[in-house]
Amino acid sequence: MRILKETLLFFKRKLIETIRQPVWLFSGLMTPLLYIALFSPLLKNLSDPPLTTADVLDNFVPGLLTLLAFSSGMGAGWTVIWELQSGVIERLRVSPASRFSIMMGGVLKDIVAFLVPSILVILISSFFGFHVHLSGLAILLLLLCLLTAIISAWSGSLGLIFKEIGSLASVVTSIQLPLTLLSGVLLPLSLAPDWLRAIAHVNPMYYTVEASRVLAEGVISSTETITAFAVIVPLTVVVLWWATRVYRKAVA
Amino acid sequence: MAMTNVIEVSDLKKSFRGSKNKTVEAVRGVSLFVKQGEIFGFLGPNGAGKTTCQRMLTTLLPIDSGTAAIAGYDVKKKPNEVRKHIGYVSQLGGADLPATGRENLMLTGKLYGMKHDDVVKKISELSQLFELDELLDRIVRTYSGGQKRRLEIALGIIHEPEILFMDEPTTGLDPQNRANLWTHIRKLKENGMTIFLTTHYLEEADELADRLAIMDYGKIVAEGTPLELKRQVSEEEVARRVKREIQTNATLDDFFMKMTGRTLRDTGKEDVK
Repeated sequence: MRILKETLLFFKRKLIETIRQPVWLFSGLMTPLLYIALFSPLLKNLSDPPLTTADVLDNFVPGLLTLLAFSSGMGAGWTVIWELQSGVIERLRVSPASRFSIMMGGVLKDIVAFLVPSILVILISSFFGFHVHLSGLAILLLLLCLLTAIISAWSGSLGLIFKEIGSLASVVTSIQLPLTLLSGVLLPLSLAPDWLRAIAHVNPMYYTVEASRVLAEGVISSTETITAFAVIVPLTVVVLWWATRVYRKAVA
Repeated sequence: MAMTNVIEVSDLKKSFRGSKNKTVEAVRGVSLFVKQGEIFGFLGPNGAGKTTCQRMLTTLLPIDSGTAAIAGYDVKKKPNEVRKHIGYVSQLGGADLPATGRENLMLTGKLYGMKHDDVVKKISELSQLFELDELLDRIVRTYSGGQKRRLEIALGIIHEPEILFMDEPTTGLDPQNRANLWTHIRKLKENGMTIFLTTHYLEEADELADRLAIMDYGKIVAEGTPLELKRQVSEEEVARRVKREIQTNATLDDFFMKMTGRTLRDTGKEDVK
């Protein structure tokens, strides 16, 4: 009960600070919209006869949401380093507040920072022909909220471990590219040779992208979706547990 | 003595793994006590181990060996109880910069389990004590150094802790703000709070501390009231200079030089003047 109350306090604080600087919404929206505007047209001519815009969006937008989940969670490490340097983390660690709540406040904020632009992207794409299947998309967003939580807790903990922006940035950005390429966001991995598809299986984002295409078609129950939840739910538990440990031990 | 010891530390030790896997003994057996209601000055050059000591006492760093009891609770066994009874104002400050002063105080009060109305009442009390009235609804990032410090001390005591730890509270402040902060710290003592004050400014310790300890190379090299320590130096000085009949006015600087062979300011990161 206390943990819940504290988590809400931290969440509220992060949310207020986020709302005060609405730039994040703009930058959150920019990447997916640029992909839709400047990359998705390339997909049209991949097949013969060429795909319609609506077909392309149906295939591309769901995966794009995974990318958005990743980038929404990734910033957590930067915030943590900033708070380390201004002494906020240390001050909180001397208080009796639970370490889990301290971490969760930021994670929940990142989930909101994922959901708002996601819903906007879905809305905007729907004007251009993207087919909205509400229940499928709702389950997809739920799955991706968990992915955001994983990335956010992971990035935040890396921030506590590295303590300075330079090392964090080099680790996070060098992991970002292979994770993106191996997720099948840009092009489906069904096009990939066997060895590439085999490696992709260690990437959690691969499973969410696989599930996203099926869920966006409105199919609720499928092997892809069940596999994705079977991978993401335990991973969320493990990463949150690990991140709490890092918060408990962290020495500023 | 009617006074009880709110801090009791015995043979505290801490080592770190340094470069080339060499063990660095940062704290090599520190014992000290702090009586209820006093200001205890904790001095030493940078790198002497005083911050490491303080971090162990405030539950931020695990203790290697030895014991520490704060407000009657064992720091090793009951860190969460200790946390409820202490306040901590670190050198970094720790106010949340993108939030307002009021939001900072509100959140902190609630984290310590205070009720909304009690926090509101406490905020108005603290804002009077620390002259924060006009600042409360401004974003902390816009505060001056002195204003931010005052807010941070308010954050450290909003839950009315028994003991307040302060790490170099006046570092980086101009002389006026320093004097002003000293007045505030004295007021806290008058209200009955015990204060553990880490500093490398000798005049600060002289000005505020009831008793003090000087730490060097991981050990306490001297302990007593400022007057006792100064007298010790003067007596030796007098004995040495008696033939020339020179009266001396020893300062804590003299005592510090005698004990550590170096001045605090030589090693200080941020020198004043």
